Amino acid sequence: MGGVTPRVSQSLNPVPDPRTCLIVDDSRIIRKVARRIVEGFGFEVDEAADGAEALAWCATALPDVILLDWNMPVMDGLTFLKRLRAQPGGDGPKILFCTIETEVARIAEALAAGADEYVMKPFDGEILESKFAEAGVV
Amino acid sequence: MRPEDFEHLQSLLLTRAGFALTRDRMYLADHRLGPVARREGYASVEDLLKATRDLPVGSLAWSVIEAMLNAETWFRRDRAPFASFGEELAPAISTVRPGGRVRVWSAGCGAGQEAWSLAMMAAGAGVHAEILGTDLAQRQLEKAKAGLYTQFEVQRGLAARQLLQWFEPHEEAWRVAPQLRGMVRFERDNLMDAVPPEGGRYDVVFCRYVLSDMEVTRRQRVLERLEASLVDDGCLFLGLGESPGEGNPAFRAVSGRPGLFVKTARPRIHRAA
Repeated sequence: MGGVTPRVSQSLNPVPDPRTCLIVDDSRIIRKVARRIVEGFGFEVDEAADGAEALAWCATALPDVILLDWNMPVMDGLTFLKRLRAQPGGDGPKILFCTIETEVARIAEALAAGADEYVMKPFDGEILESKFAEAGVV
Repeated sequence: MRPEDFEHLQSLLLTRAGFALTRDRMYLADHRLGPVARREGYASVEDLLKATRDLPVGSLAWSVIEAMLNAETWFRRDRAPFASFGEELAPAISTVRPGGRVRVWSAGCGAGQEAWSLAMMAAGAGVHAEILGTDLAQRQLEKAKAGLYTQFEVQRGLAARQLLQWFEPHEEAWRVAPQLRGMVRFERDNLMDAVPPEGGRYDVVFCRYVLSDMEVTRRQRVLERLEASLVDDGCLFLGLGESPGEGNPAFRAVSGRPGLFVKTARPRIHRAA
């Protein structure tokens, strides 16, 4: 090594960045409830109010996990899921649907389109924890 | 609740169910017994307990006992024990049993989630399993037999794909699919009884989060009964953090498999040197 002391960069910090979760739901209340639970799992949380907004977020940085509502204005969750999965790197995030839809055909459709898990509303902390565990992210 | 009522309740739970009701659960007792008092037509919990004191132990006392037992249960609780069962134990045991039949006892099965989870794991592995679920609580057993669970219950512990594979929607709830129904039967059994449930010995016993609520000498008796119900080298699954007791020669822990204990082969007659 030369005589110049290298500056310690942030990347040498042994504390890893917290994992990130994007919560996509048109209800501000649902986002708030889900945020509190997911932050409790140690995630850093961002929010989007519809699929288009979520795609914009993902263009900047892909989150580790996406909690995704189905029925939303502008762009619905299933459309978002298909578009994201079709993008380069779009298969990276674990995607958990979180919706009022409880029909078997809908659940099967979401899983076939590339969702990792499926949460039927209403949910609570235990259910989200169980589903995050199924997706292998807690 | 008056102290003498609580003491009576403690004694009822201890002698009938082996359950150690600690003093810090007095508030819980009021909370749990309120609905029982209303259902049975008593003005208060005190009146309900007085009736159980004055009458011989019958269905009323059992309603009181049932209400106090810890009914919290969910599908594939802790996940790993069910993976061990489905991926390792059930297929291995099946190869050495007549007709490939693996016998499993879910002891203290509550509302049946554990027994149905075991059925799913076995069926998923293509193993022919015969599963017995037993519990002290009649109301829980009825729910277990119906195999009908709320949306909240099925989402605690089940993956979406498992839900689609093993359940069918029924009104606002989810019902265990027909292909699992023939694998499980439910019966009432008190772990404190002297005689194990009929039907011979079991390859695997799940008795999770039951023993930790029991008084220590009763717990020992139940462990002896579980041991007697297992085949040699049979597998006992306890809850995480539970154990058959320090230095219990009847079972040995399996490293890397938390909660799993294997019945040790012991000489039946112990002779002093």
